Amino acid sequence: MSEQTSPSGQTSAPGGAGAGGATKGAGERPEKIVVEGLRKSFGDNEVLTGIDLTVKEREVVAIIGPSGSGKSTFLRCLNRLEDPTGGSIVIDGADLSGRKVKIDEVRQRIGMVFQHFNLFPHMTVLENIMLAPTQLGKCSANEAEQRARTLLDRVGLAEKADAKPASLSGGQKQRVAIARALAMEPEVMLFDEATSALDPEMVGEVLQVIRDLAENGMTMILVTHEMGFAREVSNRTIFMDGGVIVEAGTPEEIFGDPQSERLKDFLAKVL
Amino acid sequence: MSPLSPPTPGIPPASPNAAPPRTASAALAPAPAGSRPPALRWIALLAVLLMAALTAAVSAQPAHAEPKEKYVVGTDTTYAPFEYTGSDGDLEGIDIDLLNAIAKDQGFEVEIRPLGFDAAVQALSSNQVDAVMAGMTITDERKESFDFTDTYFVGGVQFAVPESSDISSLDQLKGETVAVKNGTTGKDFAEENKDKCGYTVDTYQETTDVVDAVKSGHAVGYFDDYPVIAYGITQGSGFKQVGDPQGGGDFGAAVNKGKNAEFREKFNAGLKNLKKSGEYDTIVEKYVGAQGSDGGGEQAQKPDRSVLTVITDYWPQLLHGVWLTFLSTVVALVLAFVLGIIFGFARLARFAPFRWIATAYVYVFRGTPILVQAFFIFFAIPQMFPDLKMGPFVAGAITLTLNTGAYMTEIIRGGIQAVDSGQTEAARSLGLGHRKTMQKVVLPQAFRIMIPTFVNQGIITLKDTSLLSVIGLAELTYQSRQIIATTYMSSQVLVVVAFLYFAVITVLTLLSQRLERKYAV
Repeated sequence: MSEQTSPSGQTSAPGGAGAGGATKGAGERPEKIVVEGLRKSFGDNEVLTGIDLTVKEREVVAIIGPSGSGKSTFLRCLNRLEDPTGGSIVIDGADLSGRKVKIDEVRQRIGMVFQHFNLFPHMTVLENIMLAPTQLGKCSANEAEQRARTLLDRVGLAEKADAKPASLSGGQKQRVAIARALAMEPEVMLFDEATSALDPEMVGEVLQVIRDLAENGMTMILVTHEMGFAREVSNRTIFMDGGVIVEAGTPEEIFGDPQSERLKDFLAKVL
Repeated sequence: MSPLSPPTPGIPPASPNAAPPRTASAALAPAPAGSRPPALRWIALLAVLLMAALTAAVSAQPAHAEPKEKYVVGTDTTYAPFEYTGSDGDLEGIDIDLLNAIAKDQGFEVEIRPLGFDAAVQALSSNQVDAVMAGMTITDERKESFDFTDTYFVGGVQFAVPESSDISSLDQLKGETVAVKNGTTGKDFAEENKDKCGYTVDTYQETTDVVDAVKSGHAVGYFDDYPVIAYGITQGSGFKQVGDPQGGGDFGAAVNKGKNAEFREKFNAGLKNLKKSGEYDTIVEKYVGAQGSDGGGEQAQKPDRSVLTVITDYWPQLLHGVWLTFLSTVVALVLAFVLGIIFGFARLARFAPFRWIATAYVYVFRGTPILVQAFFIFFAIPQMFPDLKMGPFVAGAITLTLNTGAYMTEIIRGGIQAVDSGQTEAARSLGLGHRKTMQKVVLPQAFRIMIPTFVNQGIITLKDTSLLSVIGLAELTYQSRQIIATTYMSSQVLVVVAFLYFAVITVLTLLSQRLERKYAV
């Protein structure tokens, strides 16, 4: 395990060579996500065996690794779709493992996009996006609709407002799902293999939306199989395997100069 | 519980031609097809009204017992000529006419409930009725449990065979099978003589079944009280009598031992007056002819026996049967849906005792036959809790509700579990709470998944109403048996009734298909 780098060391010294201007001066920005010693077991099977990670505002972190390495489980722990068995998660100052935490309120500040979109099939596109803001009293129905239309415009689907999800292509569905997550104006966005279920020709349109978000300074964690995209859009790339972070660094370090055998092995297979 | 308590108000009488229960019909009325009120609203209204009816039915009890003027008398459903439903839909027969004439003579009111013979006797034991008058022979055994009035008719057991049969004496019955109705003196007689004559006895619940068993060849003939046989022959039953009536047999009305003595006194006094005035003879002759037993050749011309006759002569009864079938189905489905939601969620609850209770409910009501449940609710519960007396409609609706509710519970649990877990995750990840997630995301989809299963269950429930005829709920099957009992036209009536069930179910299926299409995802 000597190859395992200290994640906290990485965050305090992110290096100036990150992708895009968003990384500049990351050191002074507030910490959005602080994870310490996170463990998660399913029965006897320990999937996460101790994860430490700090993500600062406007940072884009890509998580790569072989399937079964715990990437998705880790992401799902961050908004407690999975209950961690150990360690602590603090998001935007809220301790998720604390007993007093109002998880529904914390989740409103964390947007999540799923591999299989999970749009609500019985609602129109517009209703999908408006549901949470109106139900949670974030704004009036009028405001919510206005914002929903703006968001749809942003993801290039203004004309699909009244369509049912079943009539959309995979790429369109995923863009709607992103718009739905953004409707709550989250501080953090989590992407769980957002392009894995898409036909190749639709991956691009979704990545473009995510790229735009990154350029606008959204704090994001992406679990992805798109190595090129991870390299392009993230300021930090994390390689997970066997339930731990094996290596972390700038995309240039991870993809250009991998240290551990496992990462080298992995990259040799996927690139 | 005083046996002198008046009949509980709010219970719809079982009489087949009685008005449908007021509460329920009022609730259904404001649901016209055109105006499209929100379905939930009138369903809720219906549920509320039914609850009100139930409450009224179980709560109204007297504060004091004074000499009453109204008696509830249980009788058989199909025991012509003593009691049966006439072509105008009214209950007729020797018992009915005599009882009404006696009541008039003595100045009391009487409510006659056709429950079936066994059911009427059970109802008397459990104080559901004040007396039973159902062509009942006075026996020493029965005297142990009941007090009888004076004899109002002298019967006797006779054997009947189809006109085409060449059996002319009981000696020819060796190795044959004969049919009898359970609980009758005909059965006792048949059992007593079966070793001597060497026949086998098959026992049925209703006279109709007994007759049909012979007609369809399951038995060569049947034992019954001679007036029953004589009356049937006048109605074109196609039978003939074998030998003379045996063993006499005094018919009397029964009350529970040591109770309702004043009913017996009035009955006896009234009977004496009727015999004196000659009205008694008029009534009896109307049903069995002047000589009673010698049925013979003076039979009227055979009535038209086509399927069409059944419809033209009996459509009010059939329609009423369809109505009660429909009504009990709707009431049961609405309430069962509510139960299903409660217990369906309980089945999925995190709190284990909720799960246990809901699971126990499902196991009990899915694991026992609906017929047993109906008997239990109608007969057993009033004996354990005398305040919980219910009429056949209420008891039937409760049975059907509890039974269907168990299946609904499983349908709803299954429907909720069938919604992709990703839907819940997406909703929760947006910050929606458990309740809102259920309400806005899971349930709307679950119900769409459930619609076909609901339709299926609705059809099963509708057909299950036919089983409730055993507790006197005057639905379609019950009506059909009444008509068969008077006309002996079983195949014709059954064709009509089967068609009516088929038509109702087809209409409902088509409606639900439209619903399904409308809510398709």
